[in-house]
Order: sequence, then structure tokens, then C-alpha cells
Amino acid sequence: MSFLDTIRGMKFFDMHVHMTARTTDDYQAMADAGVVAVIEPAFWLGQPRTGVDSFRDYFASLVGWERFRASQFGIRHYCTIGLNSKESNNEALAEQVMEILPLFIYKEGVVGVGEIGFDDQTPAEEKYYRAQLELAKEAGLPVQIHTPHRDKKQGTSRSMDIALEHGLDPGMVIVDHNNEETVKEVLDRGFWAGFTIYPFTKMGNERMVEVVKQYGPERIMINSAADWGISDPLALPKTAALMKERGISDETIRLVTFENAVTAFAQSGQISLADFEQPIDIDQSQRYNGSSVLRGGQAPRVDKSSTIIK
Amino acid sequence: MNSSALSDTLLDLIRLQPNAEKAVAYLTQQADAYQHQPTQAVFYRVFTAIPRFVGKQTLTVSSEKAQEIKALRDGFSVEGWTLDRLARVWWLLQLSSDDQAVYFSTIENLFKAAEMNELAALYSALPVLQFPEHWRFQATEAVRSNIAPVQDALMLHNPYPAEQLDEPAWNQLVMKAFFSDKPVDQIIGFQERANSSLARIAVDYAQERRAAGRSIHPELWTLVKPFVTEANRAELETLFSTHGL
Repeated sequence: MSFLDTIRGMKFFDMHVHMTARTTDDYQAMADAGVVAVIEPAFWLGQPRTGVDSFRDYFASLVGWERFRASQFGIRHYCTIGLNSKESNNEALAEQVMEILPLFIYKEGVVGVGEIGFDDQTPAEEKYYRAQLELAKEAGLPVQIHTPHRDKKQGTSRSMDIALEHGLDPGMVIVDHNNEETVKEVLDRGFWAGFTIYPFTKMGNERMVEVVKQYGPERIMINSAADWGISDPLALPKTAALMKERGISDETIRLVTFENAVTAFAQSGQISLADFEQPIDIDQSQRYNGSSVLRGGQAPRVDKSSTIIK
Repeated sequence: MNSSALSDTLLDLIRLQPNAEKAVAYLTQQADAYQHQPTQAVFYRVFTAIPRFVGKQTLTVSSEKAQEIKALRDGFSVEGWTLDRLARVWWLLQLSSDDQAVYFSTIENLFKAAEMNELAALYSALPVLQFPEHWRFQATEAVRSNIAPVQDALMLHNPYPAEQLDEPAWNQLVMKAFFSDKPVDQIIGFQERANSSLARIAVDYAQERRAAGRSIHPELWTLVKPFVTEANRAELETLFSTHGL
């Protein structure tokens, strides 16, 4: 039996996925599996940018073309905007990026400042993390924190310490990429705990099932963080299917794969549960600045079950 | 470091490679042209075009040659490189450092526009560039990279990081090497630069691996061992002996 049968009728909110790196096939598969909304946090592009205009165009694409592209598959696309930790280390450029952030974080559909935080835990990373916490506080926006791969436990604690030092309410902060070693402290301190199901590097979904069994659904949310690496944009629906097969209740599944993320990011005022009662009308003949996702002669919505590719 | 002696030795090594006549002719001709017209445009063109004219075969390096190179620059080695990489490093030695600002901007522009093999050559060249302390931040960018050959060029068989990186940056390099499955015994200074912060990070990492049901790399113990205390000896020996050794 396909995992799709297990989760038929469920809807999902992937609160961390880098769709600019993905194809329309991914959008279609996500829509077919019940993903109704995504958050795309601003991150790096796999290699460092060398000028501020590259950042400007990237941020503009998150609120522009990418949002439109998602809508063509019936998926609501929100984003968080920020200067990522890796590129904070190029201080000359980081200063210029900080100057343009206010142009973007107040835009419609921007549900937070993110993803920000630590990578190497250098002084430069700390400086721009702090500066962006202040921006978020001023704007009344949630913060989406990327926690480091290396020296993770300490990096996660430190990220939370600093957020509190800047007077942020832990309820406004989503600490992402948790694992078994970090989750307890994050929940105990009142923060939201994001979990990324990403093959080999972050969490596997069997481990995720155990975490949900142990900690329950409160303030936990799951995402794919699918990007340009070997990742899976269906990680969320697949994990929901696994949770159901392993006896976790539908209500708990709904909270950790949909509602908790909506509740957390609704604090931005840019998203609400009521939004999801109305489906988006899919009209792939729509255009964005004259561009459509359709190319000459294409029919909207390709039938994925057919082996014939026309 | 005697740059001009090293330059001569590297060119000599190129000359010793099979069928290297055309490569040597091209490189010496370009070096002469650049002497007469030392513009950035010429310097960039040659650096970028090198593989087209010198080829990409893997070097053959005799042990005498390897010794000669090490005698000129301690810890520096070219074994396993391709010819184009060696030629690019040699070419960087032709850049005059009389005007420091021009020297920096020329090389920084190469970094900004570089593709993968160019980056590997540039990071390989760090130990032989002038003003070694100037390239510290650039070196950390190779650690941040997700591209294996670029990481390798800085992390493995390269004396620059152990000589120049401060402790946090060094620790980051070592942990990234574990995360990206590098042969950590090829990191110059791996044992010598062990420190208590790195030992703590390694212990946290091992515990995280255990919680995830994953194996623990035996070389992590090398980082931890010098900092074990009587109070934690039993616990740490169990952690590292039952999960990976």
C-alpha cells in the first residue's frame, strides 16, 4: 500500500522547505500528498553570494515568482526573510544585507525573520543574529532559528540564551533542526521545537515517531527542509503516514504536521487557520509579470500516473 | 619562504611530467608576456585558461622532488594533484606582491568568480601566498563550502589551517571533516592542535550519534583522550568503546 493511501484526506504545512531549489514535479507531488502550505526560509544557495544585489533578487523572488509558482499548484507559499548564519561571516556584505532587510520583512506573506542563528558560532554570526532578533522584535514577527550541525547542543542552548537576552518571548521563537539531544531543553524553556526529516544528516522519521511518542504534540512541528541537497519534499506526508501506522492519533499528527506551525507563525498576523478553509483556485493559465508556469502547448496539471509523457 | 626558488622547482616538476613540452611552452610564454604587460586581464585569462593548455593529468612526483618542495615550504605537498592545479599554483607565484592592495584584490577576484577546480587550486595555494595572515577568513570559507574537492584542498595535506586558524575556526574545520567523512588522519596538525573545547564538542557529538543510533568515528577519541579526567574517564571510555571502537 502506498503511503498516500494512509494519509488520504490529511493536510500538511511544511514549515521549512527551499522551493526555489525544487521543480514543478515536486510541487505537484506535494500537492497530491496533501501539502497545502509551505514556509520558505531565506537561506544560502549552496555557495556564497558576492554582492548585495544577489540577496535583493533572492528575497524578491521569495515574495514574488516563487509564491506565484506555488499558487499554481494550490499551495500557499509563505516565507521568512533574514541573513543566514553562513553568509553573516562576510561582514562587509552582511552590513549591506542588513540595510535592505527592512524592505522585505514587512511585506505581505512574510511570517517571520529567518532562518537565522549559528553555523560556526563565530563572533560575526552572533553579531548579525542579535541584530536580526532586534529587527524581529521591532516588527513583532516570529523568529525561525537554524541550529548548527556541529557543536549542536551548545549552539542550540546559546541561541535560546541570546533570544531571551534580547527580550524575545520564547513563544515567538521556533528553534529548528532539533534532535533527541536538544528537544528537551527547547520545550522546557517554552520555545517551539522544529524537526527536520532529512536523509542521513538530520532526523530519520522513525526517530521522529519516537520523539512524538515521548514528548507528545505540544509545540512540536515537523518539516522537510528540502533544498538543493539529497532531500525529500514529501518527508512530511511520509512521516505522517509512519506515525499513523505506528499508532499515533490523528489529532496528534494534525498538530505536529499542520496546526502547531500555523499557530506559531500566525503570530505574524500574515496567516491564520481560517485561510485554509478556502482552497486556492488553481488556474495555471495565470501569469506573473507576463510569465506562466506553462510553456507553449502545455496542458495544466500533468497526469502523473500515466507512463506516457507527452 | 623563497617564492622564486619554489616557483622554479614547481615549473621543473611540470617539465618532468610526460608530454609536458606544450604545457611548459605555454606557461613560460605567458609568464614572459605578463612580465611585459602585467595587467589583471592577462593574469585572469591565464589562470582560468590553464587546463585548456596544460591538461589535467595526475602528477607523478618522485620522492626527491617531494623532499625538495618540502624543504622550500614546510608541510607543502603536491602529490595527488592534477597538472592544471599545479600550474595554477605556479601561476599565482608569478603575481607580484609589491603593491599589496593589487595583490589582494587580484586574488580575491579569482576566488569570487572561481569554479570548483579553480577553488581547489586557490585553496591549495594558500600556504605559498604572500601575507599569510590575510587569507584566514578566506580559508574558513572553504570549511563552509559544501563541495568536497574544495573542502579537501584546504583540509587535507595542507599546512595552512594549522598554522593560521584560531582555535574556534580550527575546531570547526575538524568537526566539518568528521561530518563530511574526510580521512582525518590527512589533516595536518590533527593531533597537535587538540584542545579542550574541541574535546567537549567531540563528546557532545558522540553522544548525539549514540542517541541517533549511529556509529561513532574512532578518531574522535584521539581528540578527547588528552582531556579525560578521573571524574569522567569511566563514562567516556564506555561511550567511545561501545560505539565505534
